[in-house]
Amino acid sequence: MRWLVACLLILVSTAATAETFRFTAIPDEDQSRLEERFDKVANYLEDQLGVAVEYVPVKSYSAAVSAFRNGQVQLAWFGGLTGVQARRLVPNSRALAQGQEDAEFRTYFIANHDSDVDTQGDDLPKNVQGKSFTFGAKTSTSGRLMPEYFIREQFGAPPKSLFSRVGFSGDHSRTIALVESGAYDLGAVNFKVWDAAVADGRVDTDKVDVIWKTPTYPDYQWTIRGDVDDRYGDGFTGKVRKALLDMHDPELLESFPRQGFIPADNDDYQPIEDVGEKLGLLR
Amino acid sequence: MSAERAPGLLAGDSLNLRLARRSLGLIALCLVLLPFADLAITTHDPWAELGRMISGLLRPDILATQSLPHAIALTIGFALWGTLLGVVLGFPLALLFPRSRLLRGSCAFVRAIHELFWALLLLQVFGLSAVTAIAALTIPYAGIFAKVYAEILELTPRAPVDALPEGVGRFSRFVYAELPMVWARLSSYTRYRFECAMRSSVLLGFVGLPTLGFHLESAFREGRYAEAGALLWVFYLMIASLHLWGHRRLLPWVALGSLFLLGPWPDIDGALLWRFMSVDLWPKPLLDGDLAGLWQWFGEIPDLLPAIGNTLLLGLMGTAGSLVVALLLWPLACRHFGNRPTRMAGKGVLILMRSTPELMLAFIFLLMLGPSMLPAWLALSLHNGALIAFLVARHADAIVPGSHALPASARYTYELLPRLYGGLLALLFYRAETIIRETALLGMLGIATLGFHIDSSFAYLMFDQAFFLLLVTAGLNIAVDALARRYRPREIADTIGEHDRSTGEATC
Repeated sequence: MRWLVACLLILVSTAATAETFRFTAIPDEDQSRLEERFDKVANYLEDQLGVAVEYVPVKSYSAAVSAFRNGQVQLAWFGGLTGVQARRLVPNSRALAQGQEDAEFRTYFIANHDSDVDTQGDDLPKNVQGKSFTFGAKTSTSGRLMPEYFIREQFGAPPKSLFSRVGFSGDHSRTIALVESGAYDLGAVNFKVWDAAVADGRVDTDKVDVIWKTPTYPDYQWTIRGDVDDRYGDGFTGKVRKALLDMHDPELLESFPRQGFIPADNDDYQPIEDVGEKLGLLR
Repeated sequence: MSAERAPGLLAGDSLNLRLARRSLGLIALCLVLLPFADLAITTHDPWAELGRMISGLLRPDILATQSLPHAIALTIGFALWGTLLGVVLGFPLALLFPRSRLLRGSCAFVRAIHELFWALLLLQVFGLSAVTAIAALTIPYAGIFAKVYAEILELTPRAPVDALPEGVGRFSRFVYAELPMVWARLSSYTRYRFECAMRSSVLLGFVGLPTLGFHLESAFREGRYAEAGALLWVFYLMIASLHLWGHRRLLPWVALGSLFLLGPWPDIDGALLWRFMSVDLWPKPLLDGDLAGLWQWFGEIPDLLPAIGNTLLLGLMGTAGSLVVALLLWPLACRHFGNRPTRMAGKGVLILMRSTPELMLAFIFLLMLGPSMLPAWLALSLHNGALIAFLVARHADAIVPGSHALPASARYTYELLPRLYGGLLALLFYRAETIIRETALLGMLGIATLGFHIDSSFAYLMFDQAFFLLLVTAGLNIAVDALARRYRPREIADTIGEHDRSTGEATC
């Protein structure tokens, strides 16, 4: 037993290896072959940056934030709210780039057909009151924060008093599955996830369909820690940003999935921060 | 159970009557409180999704998961090292256990927090690393080992010690006259704990550690059921074949080999660790000495009382439900009923129900029945009921039937059940604490138990709130355990032996 512990200690002490640049991405899209797809992104960044790059898979939004906070990853593809959370925790960290779609992101409200909610108008239909409703993950910008904001804005009441039941499916795909099965009457999903599911035929639009599209808001972005220039050399942050903006290979972009990346900075996310504070999700 | 023999209804002081009163009391309490539980059924059309699930389970796609061997190796590695280090810490603590009230209290506390919550807590400091995974198992297991080893050591026969000549040192006495007497029990208990650790290790994947559970949860959540099916089969096989690869001579090599896979080890940032322990976990007003602010902080904790109520109610319903399920299902796997194929099938069903993580069972019921407490109740009852049924069937197999002429129903009611019932109830009461710990987990599914709010607090990075709720949860578990101990049929518990195989398994 004792020598097993000794071996463990030796391993621990030799593990401080050369600096690898690590990044992660919050789990929002299809996670199949995730490592394979993101390893390609890692290879691309490795070529562009000239340092070893590794992708760290994470499971939950909060795991992505704590990996970023602990310095286990230096760069992360965050949602709007998770990015704000992360930048508040790590001083001098900054938003670098967002997807072309992210400047004008949307949430779709979807409903099961049997729930008899009027379809698409300019506002969320009035008769959603008293139905059951599910968000996505608790800190998802498109699955929780913004839909809750728009619900409160329109009805002047928190979701809990508006709906008969409020759930958190934990994931956009699951929201779709639960509304399709009728477990919940209504749900709020990331519009990219919905569009992809419809395009792939993974959802039966005779059973569930979009009833309202929210106004636009800023969402996903790349955020980098403030200490990377010290660790990887002056101007490293700039190199990372350039590499991201220059990513044009559709095969790589498909993982996010985005058309391409455009510059972004912390101020772009002020509206998200304001809403987060208002709803008590940030403090 | 033998109410008809009593002069008054259930009156009398025999053991069986007391058992009957306690079980009926449990079920009555559950029924009285049932109106407070939300049990609505709201789903319209679950069949499409369920069909996809079943076809996935029947046509598993083993190649869909990347780095499957790596995930399997990590699952085993975490379980093995978590258990080993738990033993290393727990054994010395067991020697001090009877002497220190503080130690007993601390052990009860670390035991009362579920491995997954330990993982969420440690994740904040050690990130997604082997340190988090192993420590999340080691910490609660050290508490468990300390307690159970201490209880085993207490039962050491005195004769060999008395036979030693005068002047033998304390240490020699322990090594030569005490330890050998209990060695078999200690090692067999440790073995069962390792099995538990395998299940826990898979569960750790649900919060993001790279075990089998990581891929299982992702595939299941995103509806890739062929992949999820394959992973479930792999998991069942791993548990079922444990006796093949988990040989005592082989394990040290497995442990050593897995070491090379566990890295990279995180750089532990001392400042971060200190800030987390000294600042993040505590309410800011408390650190500032601001009492009025503390009161306000307290007010911001969402729905604490309903959450405690829901947790206790679900725990009670889960316990009563497990009792009913266990009573119904144990004959499935018992040699006194059916024939060989039905028994094989019955055993298979029980093992599947017991090994499928509750979160998954609950999600399947969520799809079928809609959101309410019902899916969680069914999941808890089936999962725990199947476990107890399995253990009871094993006890029943050891009974030699007196008369073969009895029909099955009479054999069940008059011959076997009266002899097994005490043991069944004892196992159930042991299990009660585990059931209440599991209700916290199902909170992650959206049922507003304490676990739901703990999960939220972690997601909102409000660690002070999470920590406070964890303390409340731990207190609740300790109280429930004390209560269960009080009502556990003590005479039976002593005869089946506190640490025999079944009790070891019933508590993991």
